[in-house]
Amino acid sequence: MEIINIIGIYNDPDDLVKGVKKVKEEGIAIKNVFSPFPVHGLAEILGLETRMPLLTFLYGVFGASITFAFLYWTSVVSYPLKFGGKPLNSLSFIIIMFVLVIFVAVLFTFLTFFIRQKIGPGKKAVMLDPRTMDDKFAIVIEKDPAFTPEQVLKISHILKENGAVEVNEEVQPEDYKEERDE
Amino acid sequence: MYKTSVRGILIPGNKSYGQVANDILHPLEAKSPPLWWYIVASLAIGMTGFGIWGIYTTVTQGIGTWGVNNNVGWGMAIISFVWWIAIGHAGTAFSIFLLLMRQRWLTSITRTAEAMTVLAVICAGIFPLLHMGRIWNGFFILPYPNTRGPLWDNFNSPLFWDVAAITTYLMTSAVFWYIALIPDLAMVRERAVSKVKKRVYALLSFGWVGTARGWLRQETAIILIGGLAAPLVVSVHSIVSMDFATSVIPGWHTTIFPPYFVIGAIFSGFAMVMTLMIIIRHVFRYKDYVTQGHLDAIARIMVFISMFMGLAYATELFIAWYSAGEYEIFTFMKNRVTGAYYAAFWIMIVSNAIIPQFFWFKKIRNNLVIMFIITIIINVGMWFERYVIIVTSLSKDFLPSSWASYHPTVVEWANYIGTMGIFILGLLFFFRYIPIISMSETKGILKETSNIKEEKHGNH
Repeated sequence: MEIINIIGIYNDPDDLVKGVKKVKEEGIAIKNVFSPFPVHGLAEILGLETRMPLLTFLYGVFGASITFAFLYWTSVVSYPLKFGGKPLNSLSFIIIMFVLVIFVAVLFTFLTFFIRQKIGPGKKAVMLDPRTMDDKFAIVIEKDPAFTPEQVLKISHILKENGAVEVNEEVQPEDYKEERDE
Repeated sequence: MYKTSVRGILIPGNKSYGQVANDILHPLEAKSPPLWWYIVASLAIGMTGFGIWGIYTTVTQGIGTWGVNNNVGWGMAIISFVWWIAIGHAGTAFSIFLLLMRQRWLTSITRTAEAMTVLAVICAGIFPLLHMGRIWNGFFILPYPNTRGPLWDNFNSPLFWDVAAITTYLMTSAVFWYIALIPDLAMVRERAVSKVKKRVYALLSFGWVGTARGWLRQETAIILIGGLAAPLVVSVHSIVSMDFATSVIPGWHTTIFPPYFVIGAIFSGFAMVMTLMIIIRHVFRYKDYVTQGHLDAIARIMVFISMFMGLAYATELFIAWYSAGEYEIFTFMKNRVTGAYYAAFWIMIVSNAIIPQFFWFKKIRNNLVIMFIITIIINVGMWFERYVIIVTSLSKDFLPSSWASYHPTVVEWANYIGTMGIFILGLLFFFRYIPIISMSETKGILKETSNIKEEKHGNH
């Protein structure tokens, strides 16, 4: 089935934030917001959150425990080799653990970003408006088939009122698969 | 909270968002690279070829082709290794300053500094591998189940810590660099005209489109990885210094080594970044992005670090005397300040602790030619610092009967020059195929920090 999007184009990040706020206040569901750079305050307004900090912490804990387990097993259990009268379970394991916590946490955080964002080599980028990569900002609202012409007009009016320089209605490409931003 | 106006306008010229991309991408979108690019590239290829000959000789004939001997067992290879790792530190240091201290003025520098880090760490990594002598047995350094017991690595050895630290450092800086690069590669993809270019950048940009959720995740990932990389700035070179400090050789066995090495690393890294930024600013006409103010600020930091270097040198000498250790005093007073290697010692002092003091003068901070020359001098001086540390301490230790001198051979020089060729070649490819300044971050600071705002809102 064909999906039609109403796309409001903005020139300025502050106008975009204002527009998003207004559209949300009117109770209209926003599908996606595009910007050429991270616009601060947008995530809060859209109610977006990420659990990546918690995950990174867990990766760090995992990295520390697995490293310690490995060092303990190799040095104390598998092949205990006493030299210089030093303890087998050595305090200097901390250095390797410190480094490998960073290694594990960084690598897994990086992978988590790609897995959660569902991007990776070979993914085709389908842009609703390629100008949003350069200097335009866009609010995308999906046109519900149940919308009356008055409602559509009202949405376009709200967008225009709050700084949108253009409001376009476009058919969504079939292979467009972005997560909703709200 | 962080929107102070201390730094003033960061990007002058009242640029629009579209203009930023045009300005930054012009070297990348030019039909062919400029003439100097080809000249430098052929020079770099020549250097790399010389290096490949050196590596081939080292691998096929062994370490005997080097000037190292039973006493001076570490020569050019370890000097170059420490030198390259140190240069790599600036990228991470810059990014951490930028991210964790919200120093947004560094935005236009971090991309280059991080690219430099990745390349420098790759160059550094070549030397320990070569120094093994039997490079085909290099995998012995990894703890893998084997039929010898299984006999594991010695996890209390600084040499193993080095392996872990450098691998982690390379991976972290590459990941950190790339994750910030994705939106810019997507930008190049959207602008690309030729089919091949579009394909390649589409593959590299991983299908990035720039939704609000994407940006939130990307920014969070950058902050998390940056925060994790912050301790690496301190830890990597501390671990490198422990290769020396955990031994009993006079001149090495000191507790000052970890901070001394870290400060030295940041110093030489900043010098290399400054060298590169002066070049980039000039040849790519990025004067509005890398302003005089940027270079001035880096120069001020370098005066500060240079005084630290002076303090470290003075502390070493003082502690050698104060310890009343016969061998320590001999190493420092008879074999560094005076003696066969006095020239290297004084080159180190003059170029790291004295010449950078010229940065106190505003006239010099405004003169790019002099600044460029000083940064080169600093990098040479930092090379001599490692030379002094490694060669003097090893050449004359406890027993006069085992004293020896060290003269690098042409093979060792070839290895060193070869890595320089790899470094320059890598940078040239970076200049040609990757946006040199982060566009998404520059656009992000454009409105807050330039005069674009007043003009636009004047019309409302």
